[in-house]
Amino acid sequence: MIAYDISIQYMIAGYGTALGVLALYLVSLLLRWRRLKRDLQTLEELQSK
Amino acid sequence: MEPRPKLLSLLTGLSVLLFLATLAVVFLYAPLEARMNYVQKVFYIHISTAWVGMLGFLAAAAAGVAFLATKNLKWDIVEVAAVEISLVFFFIAIVTGSIWAKPSWGTWWTWDARLTTAAILEMIYLAYLLLRQGIEDPERRARFGAVYTLIGGLSVPVTFLSIRLWQTIHPAIIGTASAQAQGGFAMAPTMLQTMFFALFTFSVIFVTLLWHRVRLGRLAEKVEQRKLQEFK
Amino acid sequence: MTRNRPSPPAARPPSLPPRPRGGFGRAVLAILWKDLAAEMRSRELLSAMLVFALLVILIFNFAIELAPALRSTITPGVLWVTLAFAGTLGLNRSMAVEKDRGCLDGLLLAPVDRSAIFFGKMLANLVFMLLVAAILLPVYSLLYNINLFRPGLLLVILLGSLGYVAVGTLLAGMAVQARTREVLLPILLFPVIVPVLLAAVRASGGFLQSAPFEQILPWLNLLIGYDVIFLAVAYMVFDFIVEE
Repeated sequence: MIAYDISIQYMIAGYGTALGVLALYLVSLLLRWRRLKRDLQTLEELQSK
Repeated sequence: MEPRPKLLSLLTGLSVLLFLATLAVVFLYAPLEARMNYVQKVFYIHISTAWVGMLGFLAAAAAGVAFLATKNLKWDIVEVAAVEISLVFFFIAIVTGSIWAKPSWGTWWTWDARLTTAAILEMIYLAYLLLRQGIEDPERRARFGAVYTLIGGLSVPVTFLSIRLWQTIHPAIIGTASAQAQGGFAMAPTMLQTMFFALFTFSVIFVTLLWHRVRLGRLAEKVEQRKLQEFK
Repeated sequence: MTRNRPSPPAARPPSLPPRPRGGFGRAVLAILWKDLAAEMRSRELLSAMLVFALLVILIFNFAIELAPALRSTITPGVLWVTLAFAGTLGLNRSMAVEKDRGCLDGLLLAPVDRSAIFFGKMLANLVFMLLVAAILLPVYSLLYNINLFRPGLLLVILLGSLGYVAVGTLLAGMAVQARTREVLLPILLFPVIVPVLLAAVRASGGFLQSAPFEQILPWLNLLIGYDVIFLAVAYMVFDFIVEE
């Protein structure tokens, strides 16, 4: 039997890291997407000149 | 880039809703386990992320074979996407596994077959990304990547078997035998339902993420081609 | 397959290696012969591997206590780590030489099956590894007063090295074509070679401790299984590595 308060701490740690890592990944996807969009725009402007 | 397909928007919304519902089910519906109580709830996210990692692993190997057979670069984009998602989710699975192991087995890590194989798989995927980084030519990068996922995909089951064998012959190093007893718990029907719901949710999330990541890969390819045109 | 047909004596000087005249085995042997002959002349690969292997043993001596009582349990680990490290040195070098001197392109232009190139290079790497082991074993036996010349251990070394060079030659072929090549090979190779190292260490340990054969047999089976699977796969995918 694990004490309730310790158990809750580990549960929070578990869900915290899981959600944290997932959020980081989503942010990285979003940032990469934006950067590529910006690159594409710059390239299109260069081409139209 | 073509506008985002309707189905993808729908899937994204569905993923978010399902994820919130899963959290609700885990915290409100699933019973509290008698011995481990709250920390047992980590199990649901642990097993679902490991499941997504497995799906990504299989998808990557299949995409690798498809690329070698067809030489179509779209399979390469799928392969990288699957590898990346698998890498992230196996990482979460390993960390949450450790967090569960500490209070229930008294140690962060055991050289258990599943744990060790997952760690080695992470290494293989990191090596895969390093390999790709070192090659400029997209066609060759795709070929080498596919060959390496194939080799990795075949070696991972063998690794799992060999570690299993090692443990059955060797007596428990650090609580593997007792860990089975301690870490295991009788699943109440409501727990099983929660687990299957979580697995379903994460499968949907996997499909959604894969699709998004493939779109990102296609955009990157397009930018790459434009650059080549521009600076030729 | 292994013996060359006697060629007309005036056709070529006798020192030249036999030229492949069709036939898969012949081509494999020709490439193996080329590598061995080049090594006989320069001896740079083998000497580097050997000195490196001896240094690793030396370092292990200081890093872990090789007390007599522990030797039979630690020895297999030390032996295989040494062989694996020296092996990457050799694998890298043997492929880098081909790449740098443009020999690989020449080989690819040769009218032979490309998988013959793979098997030739692989066999050459295997010979180098076994030669390193052949010198390592007596030195180790001498230094630590433990007899390593047991038929079982020799069999394990053969099987383990075979699996190691099968995957290693393939991955070295990829690594030399990347920008970060010397650094890349161990990173690519070690995670996929885990079953070989684990099985080889356990089987070697079993033979050294004279464990009952039933305990060693699963490891031998695993080694054989790995060798067969990865030889077949490497044979099938080598074309993708060298195709331009």
